[in-house]
Amino acid sequence: MTTSATIAFVGTPNCGKSTLFNVLTGLNQKVGNFPGVTVEAGIGTLTVGKSHFQLIDLPGTYSLSPKSRDEELTLAVLQGREPSLPKPDAVVFIIDGTSVEKGLFLFSHFAELGLPTIAIVTMIDAIKAQGGALDDITLERELGVPVLSVVGHKGIGIEELNEQFTRLSEFSVPKKWSDSPMTHHERYTSARELAHRVINIQYNDKRSELLDKVFLHPIVGPLVFLIVMALFFQSIFTWAKPLMDGIADSFAWLQAVVSTTVPEGLFQNFITKGLIAGVGSVLIFLPQILLLNLFIVILEDCGYLARAAFLVDRVMGVFGLQGRSFIPLLGSFACAIPGIMSARIIPSEKDRMATMLVAPLMTCSARLPVYALLISSFIPARLIGGVFSLQGMVLGGLYVLAAVSGLLIAGVFKRTMFRGSKLPFLIEFPPYRMPSLKSLLVTVWNRSKEFLRTAGGIILVLSVVLWALTEFPHTNIPAGTPTIEAERMQLEGSFAGTLGKTIQPMFAPLGFDWKLTIGVIGSFAAREVFISVMGQLYSADVSGSDAPLREILSKAIGLPAALAVLAFYVYALQCISTIAVLKRETGSWKWPAFAFGYTFILAYGLSFVVYRIALGW
Amino acid sequence: MNIAELPIGAMAIIVGFGIVNEFTERLQELGLTPGTTLKIIRRAPFKGPLEITYGQSSRLAVRPNESTAILVKQIG
Repeated sequence: MTTSATIAFVGTPNCGKSTLFNVLTGLNQKVGNFPGVTVEAGIGTLTVGKSHFQLIDLPGTYSLSPKSRDEELTLAVLQGREPSLPKPDAVVFIIDGTSVEKGLFLFSHFAELGLPTIAIVTMIDAIKAQGGALDDITLERELGVPVLSVVGHKGIGIEELNEQFTRLSEFSVPKKWSDSPMTHHERYTSARELAHRVINIQYNDKRSELLDKVFLHPIVGPLVFLIVMALFFQSIFTWAKPLMDGIADSFAWLQAVVSTTVPEGLFQNFITKGLIAGVGSVLIFLPQILLLNLFIVILEDCGYLARAAFLVDRVMGVFGLQGRSFIPLLGSFACAIPGIMSARIIPSEKDRMATMLVAPLMTCSARLPVYALLISSFIPARLIGGVFSLQGMVLGGLYVLAAVSGLLIAGVFKRTMFRGSKLPFLIEFPPYRMPSLKSLLVTVWNRSKEFLRTAGGIILVLSVVLWALTEFPHTNIPAGTPTIEAERMQLEGSFAGTLGKTIQPMFAPLGFDWKLTIGVIGSFAAREVFISVMGQLYSADVSGSDAPLREILSKAIGLPAALAVLAFYVYALQCISTIAVLKRETGSWKWPAFAFGYTFILAYGLSFVVYRIALGW
Repeated sequence: MNIAELPIGAMAIIVGFGIVNEFTERLQELGLTPGTTLKIIRRAPFKGPLEITYGQSSRLAVRPNESTAILVKQIG
């Protein structure tokens, strides 16, 4: 398939550009891969008749003096300086009909680049609803390019636009606004004057104003915010559970089928415990990723996300972050994988980096089984003051400790490594809008696909490596040994077992014996694996519940060591999947390595202090 | 006076900027050029961001402590 032309989509943020792009390209798109922190610039294909076009959805910008990496990318592509993409043959310039002056201001800069262009005016339905109309003939004459009006989410004007692509020769180079340099003020004066001439009404968004009287009300606003966030958290924490259980069950079933059909041996072991388990450990994240993205895209597209950021900005500002950091951090309490991915909603790269680096500190749901095992084994089920369960208080304390530490550390990062920001803090309130269902599904689908393609590959490879560490070298087990005993012997003799025993002296100051050390290493696959590894090492059957292991553990290790393990899990980045996603989102191995390093130091430090205090008791 | 000193509901005209930096540059790119009339709509809880409206139904929130460079003259 040969591409006839490359066409770039340009416009201000919130102008309806991405909706239009999604409606046109649908599932035929991928997220562009540019070096550094992930930039959401979609690249899609469109086929009209016999012609194939490559469409690029460039990040929205207000001017052509970039203030963030996203905006730099937009300028670089338009100037043909971006090595991974060809210089666009033509541009679709999108102007929000309800905010024409901003679009025209950007156009005044854009016109100077001299690219063949067509202008699209979106949201014209909102103008018509107020009795207004667009004078496209005047606009065409003044801009020097063809003008089309399109309502992306209703599909109005899409066919005309498709047809226009086959007549690329009609795209024309815009008229320059002035031969001498213009000030911002002069550009805006011209833009406003033209806006008044081409749209005959003063657009008045009464509906948004009314809704904001509720959503931004000093008392009702925060209440609604709490309800929305509770719903959001509920969806990824609880609603994803049945789907995740379903995936886990299907993979267990698949393993069982392979075990009975493929002859026993290394190959069968690789297929079941290496490959199937590895693929399962990638797919298990999909429900949470789908739900979290669905939620975020709805919030973003309907306009509420900006309001939520406004409400919570002051609180996050105390820690050097901004309102939009709240959602990735909240999401990380379910799982850091979708949490870190959702940090893309933060426009400032520095705020985004600080948020992503502390996201793994939020207590994710994979820590819960480990906490439950250790707390129920070692913390007496006593009531404090007749009301508060001691076990519950310990669990709650671990959550609070992790969250407060994470926010404080983010504050430290923002004051040191990620000091200052070129991109100033501003929240633009877009009008409330009904999101386009197609655009929404396309975005969620593409992000999930992208996770599987990029981070999924790394997770799979790392899972297989961990499998090999526990399966090699092969221990000769006498025939007739009970399975549970055989598993213990294999694990002890494996590389992982040897590694655990070798590095155990490093963990000795924390009171970890070699078994706990292997448990900690093994749980890199996912934190909850700690339980199955400890089960194997103590020959306890944990397939049904962790009760048998609780009994053994409470006798085998003392309270100080148990508390030290709990403390270690509060901070330690024990998760290859988080590492893989951090690599993907930051664009280098440097940041996951850094995150691993600093969380390890914290975990080791806290664990050491806790162990020593508990010993002295 | 600067924008952070305006009461809620006040109308003002931008007279200039105390400093020239990326922030004041971006404000102008958003249409907040000197001479623009704006209105203070509301403030987020706990002295949070300040919401203003101006131009063709544009709405924007800025942090009060970061926007003292926006110099204004109150007109109502």
